[in-house]
Amino acid sequence: MSNADPITLEIIQNSLQAAADEMFAAMRKTAMSSIIYEVLDMGTGITDAQGRIASSGAGIPAFIGVLDKSVQFILGKHDDIRPGDVFITNDPWHGGVTHLNDLVLAMPVFAGDQLIAWAANIAHNSDVGGMAPGSLSGDATEIFQEGLRLPAVKLVRESVTDQAVMDIITTNSRMPDFLLGDVWAAIASVRVGAKRLEGLAEKYGANTFITAMENFMAFGEASAISELAHLPKGTFELSEDQDDGRVFNVKITITDTDFIVDLRDNPDQDAGPTNTSQDGTYVCAQMVFKSLTDPETPANDGSFRPLKVLTREGSVFHAKEPAAIGFYFETEVRVYDLIWRCLAPHIPARLPAGHFSSICGTFIGGIHPDTGRQYTIIEPQIGGWGAWDGQDGNPCIFSGFHGETYNTPAEISEARNGLYVDKMALNTEPGGEGKFTGGRGLVLEYRIRTDHGFLTAGYTRSKVKPWSLEGGNEGSGNYVEVIKGDETERYSFVSGLDLTTDDVVRVVTSSGAGYGDPKDRDTKALALDVKNGFVTAQAATDIYGSHT
Amino acid sequence: MTNSIRRVATDVGGTFTDLVAFETGDDGMRVVTAKSDTTPPNFEQGVLNVLSKMEADGIATADVDFMAHGTTVVINALTERKGVKVGLITTEGFRDTLEIARGNRPDFFNLHYEKPEPFVPRHLRAEVPGRMTYQGTERAPLDLSGLPAILKDFRAERVQAVAISLLHSYANTAHEEALLAEVTRMWPEVSVVASHQITREWREYERSNTAVLSAYVQPVAARYLGKLDEGMKQGGLKQSPFIMQSNCGVDSLAATSAVPITMVESGPASGFWGAAELGKLIGEPNILALDIGGTTAKCSLIEDGEVRIMTDYWIERSRKSAGYPIMVPVVDLVEIGNGGGSIAWVDDFGKLHVGPQSAGALPGPAAYGKGGEAATTTDANLWLGRINRDYFCGGSIEADMANTEAALKAVGDKLEVDADEAARGIIRIANNNMVNALKLVSLNRGHDTRDFTLLAFGGGGAMHAVALGQELQVKKVVVPAAAAVFSAWGMMMSDLRRDFFVTQLAELSEGAGGVIEHIFTEAEAKARETFAADGVTAEQVSFLRYGKFRYQNQEHTTEVLLDGAVTDAKLDQIAEDFREAYEREYTYRLDAPVEMVGIHLVARAEVGKIEMSPAPMGDADASGAIKSRRTVDYALEGRHLADIYDGGELSPGMTFNGPAVVEDPGTTIVIHPGNKVSVDTYRNIHIELGETA
Repeated sequence: MSNADPITLEIIQNSLQAAADEMFAAMRKTAMSSIIYEVLDMGTGITDAQGRIASSGAGIPAFIGVLDKSVQFILGKHDDIRPGDVFITNDPWHGGVTHLNDLVLAMPVFAGDQLIAWAANIAHNSDVGGMAPGSLSGDATEIFQEGLRLPAVKLVRESVTDQAVMDIITTNSRMPDFLLGDVWAAIASVRVGAKRLEGLAEKYGANTFITAMENFMAFGEASAISELAHLPKGTFELSEDQDDGRVFNVKITITDTDFIVDLRDNPDQDAGPTNTSQDGTYVCAQMVFKSLTDPETPANDGSFRPLKVLTREGSVFHAKEPAAIGFYFETEVRVYDLIWRCLAPHIPARLPAGHFSSICGTFIGGIHPDTGRQYTIIEPQIGGWGAWDGQDGNPCIFSGFHGETYNTPAEISEARNGLYVDKMALNTEPGGEGKFTGGRGLVLEYRIRTDHGFLTAGYTRSKVKPWSLEGGNEGSGNYVEVIKGDETERYSFVSGLDLTTDDVVRVVTSSGAGYGDPKDRDTKALALDVKNGFVTAQAATDIYGSHT
Repeated sequence: MTNSIRRVATDVGGTFTDLVAFETGDDGMRVVTAKSDTTPPNFEQGVLNVLSKMEADGIATADVDFMAHGTTVVINALTERKGVKVGLITTEGFRDTLEIARGNRPDFFNLHYEKPEPFVPRHLRAEVPGRMTYQGTERAPLDLSGLPAILKDFRAERVQAVAISLLHSYANTAHEEALLAEVTRMWPEVSVVASHQITREWREYERSNTAVLSAYVQPVAARYLGKLDEGMKQGGLKQSPFIMQSNCGVDSLAATSAVPITMVESGPASGFWGAAELGKLIGEPNILALDIGGTTAKCSLIEDGEVRIMTDYWIERSRKSAGYPIMVPVVDLVEIGNGGGSIAWVDDFGKLHVGPQSAGALPGPAAYGKGGEAATTTDANLWLGRINRDYFCGGSIEADMANTEAALKAVGDKLEVDADEAARGIIRIANNNMVNALKLVSLNRGHDTRDFTLLAFGGGGAMHAVALGQELQVKKVVVPAAAAVFSAWGMMMSDLRRDFFVTQLAELSEGAGGVIEHIFTEAEAKARETFAADGVTAEQVSFLRYGKFRYQNQEHTTEVLLDGAVTDAKLDQIAEDFREAYEREYTYRLDAPVEMVGIHLVARAEVGKIEMSPAPMGDADASGAIKSRRTVDYALEGRHLADIYDGGELSPGMTFNGPAVVEDPGTTIVIHPGNKVSVDTYRNIHIELGETA
């Protein structure tokens, strides 16, 4: 039997998946920052020699389309790529795609002298310098204020760490120990991946290994095109108001072979940090496209070949250097949701009503009262998801941007951060009613135990609420409240707010939106809603038209 | 038999109730097996039925010295949702923890993902005021003024079991104990469990869910164990049976009835323990253990004779679902949907897959001829001559080869290949799935498979073991004597064992030695106390102390075995031991400070084991055991004429070479070309792999 038979190729493909998963597990277990090991704000992947994504580990979907772009940039910049090298980048104009906190590490894999693949990962690091703790500030107007820029440089040369680069990285961080631990976790992870890939190439031969990756991508493309056939054809358009008064526009054209997302007609880039890179916008379209065409199988380069994204340089979705991009994710989740919403009425079999649809990035820092050390909470929040025909939405899961991501237990948060979690509950505010109801959002209360702390937060879908389908009610909206004594202030964007002892930060995330007229809700389901305290007796009468 | 000791293992499975009796004495060992239908809902009846079959074979129940019992009652009650209605009482502000869970979306591109429903609906989740801190001090006193109304509501809702889980109870159990006592006082007949009775580890969702699932199965399991005990005593058994646990030990029937959730993954545990014990017996303390059954393959790694026990266990978790955590000590294993009955299928894009769907016992593989149309791994093994078509299932079933051929051709047609090629493809894909699972427990954790012996058991283990061993380049492959009853043998070798996990943070700085020593001595005193309740004296109990360490600021911990009392003087050595263990697993070390997150104490007491006596080594010539020759297709290594050995005729000292197949009623061992085989003094089959491809 030849070595390039279909079964061998299948075995190599399975092993690529196993290697990406193994890289993910290694990084998770060794990371220093809770945003990596608990929230799992990270991704791992394997690309072919040209930097096309071949396989990706668990983690978050928003990171899967990032690593190929990083590797392609490294390939364009460097002639001298050798076994044992590890490259690092974080800058969207140097292959970094997202924002400076996200360090991408990539390691070339060789069979003899031949470059055959790359093992890469990305993770959110707690502090990479810049004007504000945690490196993210709503006040930033240039990327230079958001931390150290690493323009796709070698961190390890032929297995020897470049101490100069490492020293520059750690010296620029407010949390050098965390950063060093996390960078080492990332190095260990790419090394594990590279070792596995070398083993595969050695066992089956480099050519068979390369054929397997190409075959896998061709499979991804074939499956995307065959699914494209099931989508409605034509051009679909949507204009949507934003919390800040801007209007975002999208035009989507679906043909038998192409899926074109036109985002050229959109506002100029922002003076603040809510811009995204062109690559970042492309990643958003990739995620919706994958959900529409083939949510079942792992994504690779082929999965995205029918997709084309048009942007205008200088717009908020294609920012020019040196725009600030720290809060890129809140704009990305908007464009992701814009594409989803535009198509939802036309593809109900794959797209539910709107979800809380915000990262709800929450940053709280200060001094731990028991250890005296600095603590920093960096966390996305969980919230409610929208309903679809036949099914209520999910309560409290991560947004479409995050996936195999975990919230932080109150018991661990209290120990690690030295504050109290007074409450972690479902949000029962009105919103999301329907024949099928939106899932419930979150109420999370942090009680601060020391003075001189800070809160930074950036939530959207606060004024313009999650959108419903078929006559359901929209979701309740995301916001954060700060309670100082008798005073309660409500925010959706806040930067560096001073926190003192006994202040309470109350995070409230939205319910998902409803599907169908609430008056059509099944009476037994409604009775259970009331019994469970999700719907008041008054609302049962007023909104659902219950007569009991 | 003179001076004989009789030890019996019984196991209640979904379809059959099995019994294996080991009678050892001056004249060696006799093994009696019996099988009977499982008899739901009166499971004890099935056990009594196999006991009477044993009596027919000359072993009286009254003469049984030791009985161990394994059952799937807990896992079945969970997966079939056949537990009782549970009410949860938790800390004010946290009633929704059970429904919020951890918020993850494993099936992340699927926007119609459905989050698993909590086992307790919101209206049965009640709150009481009162708070502990993570350091175990009281922040606000427990207020039970609302408890009568809560219990009144639970009664009205016909709640049958109450779970209690309060914030930070791992650090201080006082509030949970007070609440538990009050619930018991006010409602003595209800089943109730508090989270600290099961685990002293942090993470409130995992601990709460554990308490809830324990409460959910407690009345069902207690009823089952009670009737079993009663039935066996009526049958003449002198002493209550010991119950197999998920941590590879056995525990008393009384202790198991109180917290039955610890049985949840007991099924595979006895086999893995058997692997550890056999490894010690034959001088192979480093073992990769592989158990291939009808629907799944399970594997686990044993290092220096010790199984690895963890508390990161989930049911119903997959790439498609978040599942439910159960924070109890469970042997660290990886399980995949690849067994003898796993179905081969071709997707829309012409790619071949094997499993996780299984043909089960009914209709079973196509070769059963009982209506199964799908090709399974077993059909592929039959078609390739690896399984003897004239000795299928030990001769008990006539292989329907026409049906097998049709099923394989159907797969082949989709792949545009013939039945032979389809069968080879199925074997190779199944093997690859298993290799990836074995890598997860070995290479993935920094272990070099070349230092390990692959020990294969279960119905299908020996059929695939050599191919897997070659791929992983293990030292050698061992198939135990009587591989089919190996799990029962493992149960007979188990200790009375309890694993205690306690979360407590401690920096490894001056003064920490005393603090850590105190945590251990406290846990050891508690362990002795619980064993004393079962009549085990302090002198009989031995301990293994593990510390769970990490670099400061990390989350995940690495366990390090600690030798003797912990003192300040030993802290540097402990930190260095951690750094070494960490470096081996993760390839680097840091200068960062090391801290302890908690302890893992293993407490065990021997309850008697089977004494294995070596048989004299005889002649090396094995030719007398050859019963035939046939052509066997080894997939990657092509077709070879292989010697077929009768397993029952092999005796200690014999050696022979592959290509060969060893057959006995319960096991088929596929031996590849170039392998060298020897039979050891305990009749285990050792396979040296020789030059591998």
